[in-house]
Amino acid sequence: MSWLSPHIATQIVDFSSAMLLLTCFAIVAQRRLSACVDLFALQSLFLAMTAALVAFFTGTRHIYIAAALTVVVKVIVIPRVLKGVIERLNVTRELVMRINIPASLLICGALVMIAFFITQPIIPFGHLLTRDSLAIALAIVLIGFFTMISRQKAVTQLIAFLVMENGLFLGATAATYGMPLIVELGVFFDVLVAALIAGIYTNRLQDAFDSVDTTHLTELKE
Amino acid sequence: MAILLFLTLVGYAAGLLLPLCVPARPKVQNILAHGLAGVAAVGGCCLGITGLLAAKPFEMSVPSTLPLLTFAIRLDPLASFFLLTISLVSLAASIYALGYVTKFYGRVSMSLLGSLFNGFLLSMTLVVIADNGFFFLIVWELMSLISYFLVVTEHEKSDVRYAGLFYLIMTHVGTAFILLTFLLLFQESGSFSFDAFRQPEQSLPDGMKTMVFLTALIGFGTKAGFVPLHVWLPYAHPAAPSHISALMSGVMIKTAIYALVRVCFDFFGGYFPWWWGFVVLAIGAVSAVLGVMYALMEHDLKSLLAYHSVENIGIILLGIGAGMIFHSYGFEELAALGLIAGLYHTINHAIFKALLFFGAGSLLYATHTRNMEEYGGLLRRMPWTGACFLIGAVSIAALPPTNGFISEWLVFQSLFLSYEIPSLFMKLMLPIAAAMLALTGVLALTCFAKAFGISFLALPRSSHAKHAEEVPWPMRIGMGFLAAGCVALGLAPMLAVPIMDRVTASMIGASISEKMLALGGWALTPVNVEFSSISSPVLGLVLAATAAFGLALVALHGGTRAYRYGKTWACGLNVTPRMEYSATGFVQPIKRVFSTIYQPTVKLETDFLEESRYFAKRRRFEFHIEPVFQKYLYDSVVTFMSGLAHRLRIVQAGSLHLYLAYMFVTLVMLLLLAL
Repeated sequence: MSWLSPHIATQIVDFSSAMLLLTCFAIVAQRRLSACVDLFALQSLFLAMTAALVAFFTGTRHIYIAAALTVVVKVIVIPRVLKGVIERLNVTRELVMRINIPASLLICGALVMIAFFITQPIIPFGHLLTRDSLAIALAIVLIGFFTMISRQKAVTQLIAFLVMENGLFLGATAATYGMPLIVELGVFFDVLVAALIAGIYTNRLQDAFDSVDTTHLTELKE
Repeated sequence: MAILLFLTLVGYAAGLLLPLCVPARPKVQNILAHGLAGVAAVGGCCLGITGLLAAKPFEMSVPSTLPLLTFAIRLDPLASFFLLTISLVSLAASIYALGYVTKFYGRVSMSLLGSLFNGFLLSMTLVVIADNGFFFLIVWELMSLISYFLVVTEHEKSDVRYAGLFYLIMTHVGTAFILLTFLLLFQESGSFSFDAFRQPEQSLPDGMKTMVFLTALIGFGTKAGFVPLHVWLPYAHPAAPSHISALMSGVMIKTAIYALVRVCFDFFGGYFPWWWGFVVLAIGAVSAVLGVMYALMEHDLKSLLAYHSVENIGIILLGIGAGMIFHSYGFEELAALGLIAGLYHTINHAIFKALLFFGAGSLLYATHTRNMEEYGGLLRRMPWTGACFLIGAVSIAALPPTNGFISEWLVFQSLFLSYEIPSLFMKLMLPIAAAMLALTGVLALTCFAKAFGISFLALPRSSHAKHAEEVPWPMRIGMGFLAAGCVALGLAPMLAVPIMDRVTASMIGASISEKMLALGGWALTPVNVEFSSISSPVLGLVLAATAAFGLALVALHGGTRAYRYGKTWACGLNVTPRMEYSATGFVQPIKRVFSTIYQPTVKLETDFLEESRYFAKRRRFEFHIEPVFQKYLYDSVVTFMSGLAHRLRIVQAGSLHLYLAYMFVTLVMLLLLAL
């Protein structure tokens, strides 16, 4: 787009990926499960926006399809499934946490620093307008991973897993302007199936232990 | 030669695949599998003989897509000799199995058993002719795995499963060391082909050479089963079906001997320090004595034979060790003598041990028990088996005119010729080894006097033995074939020695067969005519003449006399099997003499009548000997490992979060380290 300088384009993409990171922190700070799901939907919306912006600035058409799929799968379908699960199981709040919220936020801050520190040597080599998003993508992956460890309810862990996936998608968009379309379609399908399976698994957990607390799984140890 | 090779390999491969393809009719599968194995084994025999007579080694190579791996085959005299040994026993085993496996009909899948049997023979054949380290390791591992599956044929019994697991662990520890050997050699030569290993320009540093030797000794030693790596033999050999035990004990453990000779004399070209030979000699002497001593205490016929494998591997190592010592001091002719003695005993042991295992298998087939105390009086009921077993027993006890005698005599000669070595230490050590070999010989004779006497003579000790019947013809033919081999190799060393001389000449360079065969081949003189010589054909004739004379005397005098049957004088009692010498009783004096080694524990419980302590109501006698190596060496390792594992178990908390945290920490650490 000749009427827009590349510098400004980079700024806009960076802004929308920063919004992704912000929603991550919001998820970490949130106790209510349905709010977590909403935040995830919001994050996915920002992701779709970032992807659409990249597609718009670079003219890579197939990223539009990926963005549209993101909206359909991650903003509409998966949140609905999760909401259904939460309603059926009647779990509203994450009560027990391994690490409390202030400490979690501090650790997440540290993880963002680590992510930027790690990508520091790589970023100058890139010529893409999305190159700064790579650090953010890595930070989101790490935060998602950390959330999986620090939360006990299976639903929260599932959301954290999906957040990680968002981070990976952002990373792929940032590093190479998206994966080939066929790969992206496969990934979307995978995520959908994974979310469904995890929903079923959560139901099973509830049936078996009367709770979706994954620490009960320790009892399965020999 | 390529045609023979093709016939052999395709024969085994067909035997491996076809039984799995035909419908589930045990009889058809049996004939198909063992028939094909027999044809392939004949091909293997011809191939071995051609390879031994050929002017230069036959080589063939098929490249593969994997780097460093080529399916290279090389038939030099050493490989051909072991190929011949393996194929001879395989042929006998194929014939024997035709009859023996009928006892598994309906219990064990015949297609699987026959197919694995062929696979086992194929892998053993390939092990000795492989000419690439990578290829060798693959077929070696195949051989180990297939033999494991064969050991656990009767996996419904828990002791069979235990034996199989024990064997599997031991053989994998061994393979780890063998892998190390090849990797060390690879590091120096940059290739896995045996050709690169034996290049003289890649002279390894001395420390590295020693490492290669020691890893090879441990790695192949676990397969050969010398002390203290022998512990799996008495478990695994009895557990396997008898024709498999014969192959494992008779030939499979020989592949390790092959590999040791290959490493020392081929890869290192015979350039090694004297103490390598001394280590081999010492291990051989200890294995020979301890093997036979533990064998004496066994009343399970197949365990007894398994321990005798330890003993005979020891004797083979005595010959090879003596050869290595002579070689390092530059006495090439004596070195050749030592090696010939070792190789001669290798083929002899393969034949008579397989024969004895066949015999044990026949007894098991007829009586359904391996416990010698339940045999007795079987010679009358199973004359063929008895005769063949007797020939095997005479051979393993090294009595003339059978093959065991000739090879042990050669080992003795090579040990006695140590007076030529300049080192005083060696002058002392080799005769001590000879003395230990003499002790071994005596104990082996005792052991087989017991094994044959208790099993075949006197009265039956159980109803099993009383109702035993002679085994089917294929089994008799298989045993007869090997029994003939025992006698032939004993009476005709002048035919066998030149063949083995070709093997040693190809490695050491000294050809001594002309010196060894005096009087046109009728007498055997180890290098030095003045020192000693022997003529086994004449010895055989003298023995035959003596026997004929004895029989003639009986015919002349005893034959005319009328027999009178009456009760044996036994204080007025009838003679019952309970009055016979038992196997335990037979070896009691030896148990007493060597109690330091056996560390026996005896428990005697007596319940007396209440009225008087002079009358016992019931007596219970228990007796155990301590498996010293297993207790002190292996059990301590096992205790240590399981203690370690127990401590490491805290890592496995079962918590999902903890596992995720492991991954997370690893990921972050790796990312930070990658900078």
